[in-house]
Amino acid sequence: MKNIAHTRNPLSSDKERYRTKSRLSERGRAMFIFVCSVLLLAYLLAPITWLVSSSFQTEAEIVSVPPHWIPEEPTTKNFEAIFFQEQKEVTYESRKQVDPVSGGYIPSTAKNLLPALRNSFVVACLVVIFNLLVGVPAAYAMAKIRFLGRNSSVYFILTTRVIPDIALVVPFFLVIKNLGLLDNILSLVLTYLAVTVPFTVFILISYFESLPDELDKAARVDGCSRFRTMTHVYLPLALPSLVAVVLFTFLTSWNEFLLALMFTQTPASQTVPIIVASFTSDFTISFSFINAAGVVAIIPPIIIAIMFEKYIVSGLTVGAVKG
Amino acid sequence: MTKDAITKFGRRKFLKYSGAAGVAGSLSGGLAGQVMAAETIHFSAWSAAVDLVKSHVNAFQKSKGLNVNYSNFPWAQYRETMVTRLVGGAPLDMMWVSDAWLPEWAEAGWIKPVDGFKDLMKYNAEAEKFCTDSMTYNGRQYGLTYYTDFMGFMYDADKLKKAGISSPPKTWDDVTQQCLKIKEAGISEYPLMLALAKESWLIEFMAAMVYSQGGRFTDDKGMGAMDSASEGALKALQWVVDAVHKHKIVSPACVETGELTGLKAFASGNHAFALEPKYRMRHLNDPKQSKIAGNVKQILMPKGDGGSHATVGWMRFHGMSAAAAADKRRAANTAKLIEWFGGKADGEYKFQKYLFTDIGAGFGVKPLFNDLDVQKAYNSYTDVNVIKKQQALARKKDMVTPWFGEWQEVNGSAWQSAILQKASPQEALKKVTNTWNKLKKQA
Amino acid sequence: MAPFLDYLIYQLSEAGTVAATVASTLSRRFNYDERSAYLFLMPVMAVLVLVAVFPIFYSLYLSFFDLKLTRPHRVPFVWFDNYLTLFADELFWGSVLRTVYFTLISVTAITVLGLLIALLLNETFRGRRFISAMLLVPWAIPYVANALMWKWIYDSGYGALNGALLQMGFIDKYMVWLGDADKTIPLIANAFIWKEVPLAAILLLVTLKSIPDDLYRAAKVDGATLMRRFIHITLPSLRPGFALVFIFETMIAIRHFDLFFILTEGGPADTSHVLAWEIYVETFRNLSFGTGAALAYIMAIVTFFLAYSIIRTVGKRL
Repeated sequence: MKNIAHTRNPLSSDKERYRTKSRLSERGRAMFIFVCSVLLLAYLLAPITWLVSSSFQTEAEIVSVPPHWIPEEPTTKNFEAIFFQEQKEVTYESRKQVDPVSGGYIPSTAKNLLPALRNSFVVACLVVIFNLLVGVPAAYAMAKIRFLGRNSSVYFILTTRVIPDIALVVPFFLVIKNLGLLDNILSLVLTYLAVTVPFTVFILISYFESLPDELDKAARVDGCSRFRTMTHVYLPLALPSLVAVVLFTFLTSWNEFLLALMFTQTPASQTVPIIVASFTSDFTISFSFINAAGVVAIIPPIIIAIMFEKYIVSGLTVGAVKG
Repeated sequence: MTKDAITKFGRRKFLKYSGAAGVAGSLSGGLAGQVMAAETIHFSAWSAAVDLVKSHVNAFQKSKGLNVNYSNFPWAQYRETMVTRLVGGAPLDMMWVSDAWLPEWAEAGWIKPVDGFKDLMKYNAEAEKFCTDSMTYNGRQYGLTYYTDFMGFMYDADKLKKAGISSPPKTWDDVTQQCLKIKEAGISEYPLMLALAKESWLIEFMAAMVYSQGGRFTDDKGMGAMDSASEGALKALQWVVDAVHKHKIVSPACVETGELTGLKAFASGNHAFALEPKYRMRHLNDPKQSKIAGNVKQILMPKGDGGSHATVGWMRFHGMSAAAAADKRRAANTAKLIEWFGGKADGEYKFQKYLFTDIGAGFGVKPLFNDLDVQKAYNSYTDVNVIKKQQALARKKDMVTPWFGEWQEVNGSAWQSAILQKASPQEALKKVTNTWNKLKKQA
Repeated sequence: MAPFLDYLIYQLSEAGTVAATVASTLSRRFNYDERSAYLFLMPVMAVLVLVAVFPIFYSLYLSFFDLKLTRPHRVPFVWFDNYLTLFADELFWGSVLRTVYFTLISVTAITVLGLLIALLLNETFRGRRFISAMLLVPWAIPYVANALMWKWIYDSGYGALNGALLQMGFIDKYMVWLGDADKTIPLIANAFIWKEVPLAAILLLVTLKSIPDDLYRAAKVDGATLMRRFIHITLPSLRPGFALVFIFETMIAIRHFDLFFILTEGGPADTSHVLAWEIYVETFRNLSFGTGAALAYIMAIVTFFLAYSIIRTVGKRL
């Protein structure tokens, strides 16, 4: 920027003044940006840091007033309870004879956290796969093909997202119950599909539309069917948006709570948000454990988000690829 | 063009077959699950004495050779969790039920009477009448007692001594005076601990205060009487509102405090008085679990003007789900499990006794009172005479009807809004009475 | 009236389209292009019709009955009684007001904060990639974990909010937060805003990036100050971005349930009893499926019209 200022100003005394001014404003600008960045980082990360810090504290320490921001006696007991719960059989002799309320009590549903992680993962993967299978052709068709009812289809698909989830719950619940699919992860996959497909289609349409039509025509001239054009020509080009779609869909499925609460009854199909929510129980009030469970719940999505971070912006950018 | 046609057809066929395979797979998976379930008894409980239940279940499995799937949920959200599962048709055979929900669940057809099982009914001879009555609805009995208890009034003797108070309060006015004294002495900021969060415990706390103030919830005809100035809940609610705002002896956070949080706070020594279920004495006087152990004493519920030392009593029982009752084999298995827990296991009331010694939960079977271990345990942390006296004055809840669940939502909100001073106690209770009468009409 | 007619026409044409879609794959009246298009669209339409459209009509059907699960043997058909009862119920209107309040403060804060963050990230500076990555953290975590985290922060006995304020000297003893009726909704909104701001920031950033630099350079040559450039170039060009953010966040805020479930369960004393919570309570606690369905349907219609009007006023084409 300094150089541009340099070349733009022909008068040398003005040049001097401008250069000094722009160097100061450079510094000022950098300072301002630095301060803003620090504030932003604090805003984004402080709550999470507190969550992590709490998860490493003992029950006795976590109830200190004022709180210990950095644990003075850190412990991994809470995480051990999640990952290495002993499966010893409980007998009259070996039972814990205290009321769970005395704290430090790890709920018995803790052992469901790992299966829940698996369930969440399977559901999310299936939803992603189906989203791509179902959404890509639809988006391609709506972006590249002129057909009767194209605009209405777009509106229709977007409109379905206007319906609140809670309105879906009761009717869908009754249908799934009659189909016998309650407590089956397939019910979740199907519901999440309906919830995520509109957004997927929206992102893909935007991106496909920004890709040039000529490619399409060229491929057709070469004898490709519509299907082949889609798979061999446009898909490779649309990689950033595909990654964005995978990311959004995966995270939406992973984080969804209300529908999973309704449709899953046992640990066989319960996902991570349900198990974690079940820890906000009263009988346990092992605060440190709840925080540890929270940490375990957030790590996979955070890793995935950060890994694919650069694709999000580029995948959403309309008009990034021109010509 | 022909190549296109073939590939298009091939794709369609593939999709069709894979779709069919997917559906078939899920169905067969479901069927296999069903077959397995027939051999397993599904037992749902709330998260009390979890290890004890587990050990008792294991003993059952060894003794009878039947498989039991035990799952537990937090008590504070138990009703909601169970309702969702019952509506959703989750596999359920035996479950714990609270007396307050019996009409609701019986009317909805979720639980079925067990009076057809002679093996279970024979235990009634040795059970407290209060318990058996509470499990009976429309003449049918729906289970065996899990535990029974009443709301107690507890105080920290050490704090009273420090404040120079010579004897514990007898009336609610005494409570106010003593709290003010303790507060002035700087011993405790909010001397009375009340846990009034909207959860399953709330109705028990309210009922205890209402009954001891001489009030009731319904009149002789079963119509709502909550807002009646002479008979209703008004005095009790007004006392609480004054305690929070006028005297400042109860924390305004009481509407956020659940029973367990409150218990922990009391056990940490933050308060001088507390309303707690009687069985909590066990926890409060255990030096391993409570900071004020040895100082906690129980007295009769303070009485209000024109009131008495009455309190509310409740019981919970083991019930059988409708799904289990419909199948002869499942019903027989479930009855065996109910007997194991609610009756005798290997010839003795093992579960009830251990439940009492572990967490102090009251039992409904009379013979256990004569058991030496039980007596020793009782005497180690509480005064049995007080308990006997208070138990005699414990009243059954008078608002237990099929619409209790829905009414309690409104009732809980109303009390909270009065305490938050968003409505006057009269207005709040008027709304509650109207709701009760409306629901009664609709039933 | 006119927008409603527009909307009605769209509805009808779209319904007609779906029917035509089905018919055309069987006949050969359309050309190859269009047949391919319909084939590609079929899976999406099938899924959406099954899982989105059907439930809406089914819940409309249910809302005409007085269906209470605690009284399964008697299910009278009551026409519009459920709706009339709701409109006469002050709890319903209270919920609507609370939902509006929550949505307004949330969407405003999210848009403003999102804009500020997008402006920051639009600049090039060292460490920008890192901040971009960290920006995604609140967005990535499950709503449930978010709720638990804030519940712990707001805890009146041991929470970080109390602790931090105490240590910084702003308060002299621990306060009640979620249990204080005046603070409940703003606090819940804060937790919601924290989680939603990243998405808004990204959407706005994407729009910002597409504003051509020439506009700014030309303005600078003309002597426009930073403020004027901002008001006359940046803001207008961001209109599609704002529209997107408004629509998305409004729809998410109106229907949001998770935070209300975990943080306050509609309390204390109905202070945070919003429409989504009302539907849950009516359906799964009061077991009144008829009124629950009616509520859900009302919410669907309202959200629909809201989205439509936002599109019409703020956005141009989607």
